[in-house]
Amino acid sequence: MVADNVALALAGIAAFDTLALMIVGVAAGLLAGAIPGFTIAMAVVLTLPFTFSMDPAQGLATMIAVLVGGLSGGLMSGILTGIPGTPSSVATTFDGFPMARRGEPGFALGLGVWSSFCGGTLSAIMLVLFAPQLARIGLEFQPWDFFMLVMFALTVTASLAGENMIKGLIAGAVGLLVRTVGEDQAVGVGRFDFGIDPLLGGFDFIAVLIGVFAFSQLLSDIRDPKSARESLSERGNVRIKIEHWRAIKAIARRWTTMIRSALIGMFTGILPGAGGSIANILAYDQAKKASKTPEKFGKGEPEGIIAPETSNNAVEGGALTPLMALGIPGDVTAAIMLGALLIHDVVPGPTFIAEEPVLAYSIFIAFFVANFIMLGMQSVMLRVFVLVTKIRMYMLAAVILSLASIGVFALHNSTFDVWTLFWFGVLGFFMRQFGFPLAPMILGVVLGNVAELNLSRAFAITTDLSPFVTRPWSLFFMTIAIFSAAFPYFQSARAKGAAWTRFYFPAVLIAVTVPFVMMGGTIRPLIGAVCFIAGCYLLFRRSKTTAAASDPAA
Amino acid sequence: MGRLSQDTVIAILLLLISGGLMIASFDIREPDYGQLSPATWPRVIVGVLGFLSFLYLVQSWSATGQPKQADAEEEPEANGDTLSTGARFWGYWQNVIWCFVLFLLYLLSMPYVGMLIGGVSFAFLLMSALGGWQPRQLLLHAGIAIVAVGGMWALFTFGLRVPLPPGMILPRF
Repeated sequence: MVADNVALALAGIAAFDTLALMIVGVAAGLLAGAIPGFTIAMAVVLTLPFTFSMDPAQGLATMIAVLVGGLSGGLMSGILTGIPGTPSSVATTFDGFPMARRGEPGFALGLGVWSSFCGGTLSAIMLVLFAPQLARIGLEFQPWDFFMLVMFALTVTASLAGENMIKGLIAGAVGLLVRTVGEDQAVGVGRFDFGIDPLLGGFDFIAVLIGVFAFSQLLSDIRDPKSARESLSERGNVRIKIEHWRAIKAIARRWTTMIRSALIGMFTGILPGAGGSIANILAYDQAKKASKTPEKFGKGEPEGIIAPETSNNAVEGGALTPLMALGIPGDVTAAIMLGALLIHDVVPGPTFIAEEPVLAYSIFIAFFVANFIMLGMQSVMLRVFVLVTKIRMYMLAAVILSLASIGVFALHNSTFDVWTLFWFGVLGFFMRQFGFPLAPMILGVVLGNVAELNLSRAFAITTDLSPFVTRPWSLFFMTIAIFSAAFPYFQSARAKGAAWTRFYFPAVLIAVTVPFVMMGGTIRPLIGAVCFIAGCYLLFRRSKTTAAASDPAA
Repeated sequence: MGRLSQDTVIAILLLLISGGLMIASFDIREPDYGQLSPATWPRVIVGVLGFLSFLYLVQSWSATGQPKQADAEEEPEANGDTLSTGARFWGYWQNVIWCFVLFLLYLLSMPYVGMLIGGVSFAFLLMSALGGWQPRQLLLHAGIAIVAVGGMWALFTFGLRVPLPPGMILPRF
């Protein structure tokens, strides 16, 4: 049965038209990733309207191709011009650009390309192995658990997205609010339509996403008249040849860095709201700490390229895992993927892999195939990159805005959607200007319906609120949501040396013990016991250190 | 406008919006069926938004007197004292204003000129407004607008069979 489904999925992905679309997708992603200011999420969201006429597997394969290409594209401009193409390749420039400047741009690019490939492939393996297991756990979830999972996702995103937690939470609430406009899902009563007929249908969330993300990003990119007229071509040398073999040997010698960075990327990807922009810095930092020659970092050290490039490509396998297993996206691009699935009437959730096995395997296979295509396309796209860097940002912005309006209109053949794009573009732009993070808002828009639907289901079962704390998974998500909400305060207090911050992590470990024990069985209470013992041990050690530090006689 | 007063203004605006939406939520019809009223979830969110806006307001007040944070983009100082506030404002925001105004015009004119002519005109005018009005640039901008927007219009209309809105003036486009 599994073999049949895999064979069907493979046949779909290996079809000439799908492969051709994936090649175009990877090429477009590589270019989008290479252009500073043009984010991966923007590329993926702009691809979405082109996939309407495709079947779901083909459409998703194309979007995955854009995504994988985008994740690797940032390294080209980062290494050759010193300007990271995407936030997820910021750390790549730390050593990539110095290496290119000292005369080894081909080696630097080779390291980046092969590290991206390794990170992507490892995370694809993780996606295949872990998504079905996580989906099995997801089958235990009841409406209370799903509701709390959404709340947890929003809280974590808000706490990680910016330096001001309140702004992040406000953005999340605005996102949830946007989804309440129009007829409610349960009984079909109109809400916040103010007598305007098109509002009864609600805002199309793809139009909202393109507006909030792409439109507002383009406005921010062209805000400065001087930089809007600039092109990248004046900077850096872009006529080089990638040194593949030398790079492979260098990565093989530093395989521990690669594995560690891939794990960092995957874990960061699973965490809602934490994407490649965090993973690449984290992996770079860990590689530097683990290195015997940390002083070489920043001067063209190969590990300084391997670590960030492996981790930022590993992120997406992690982000797609909760999406495919639970229907909860791990980051903004996964949220757009969720939108693509919903457009094709496919609702991801714990039963998704079992009910839509061919589509699920198609996603797995497309993820693998896209990484191989990316490897082959990098050398070709390097030449196109030279041409693209001659284009000025204002030209790109004007053309993309026009194309976005055509794509958004094609959603439902509705001019109202283009108006939605415009107004949410304006909103997104001002949110950026005033320091409100967009990721929580986007997650709020995407998950708003899931939250309300599950709350409605929970109330249909019982009006009693106690299951939110008596159901183990709900309690688990509530506990970590509370701790994640406190995380920004923990960080700032730790920087000031506050004593209570020493007890934050032990408290997290002890608090999660309760839901683990409540889950029953053998393994989960055991995990709970391990958490409890580890928490108590840390508590004991840190109490001793605190006492010693406060004792003047010591 | 200083950063702190800006935060305060936004917080007050958010509080007003929350208040308005809370009042609007009482216009939501309450059906006799279903356990969860259609107004409950929006009210919960509006309540949370109001509470967070209040915290934001308090935060903006408590930050008074502290040095300005550097996370948000600040408007640049004038290039010399000769520039008036209006000129400085225009210098800083001109590209964004062009973009807003032209996109708005594009949307308003769409029923009359259609998506193809409207889209090409929008792309051409925006490029020229942002990039310059020299004859050579105009030619380049016109070429890019026609090829990119026209190509995409053709792809959707003939390739993907998505009928894009025609205008009243030229009903074919």
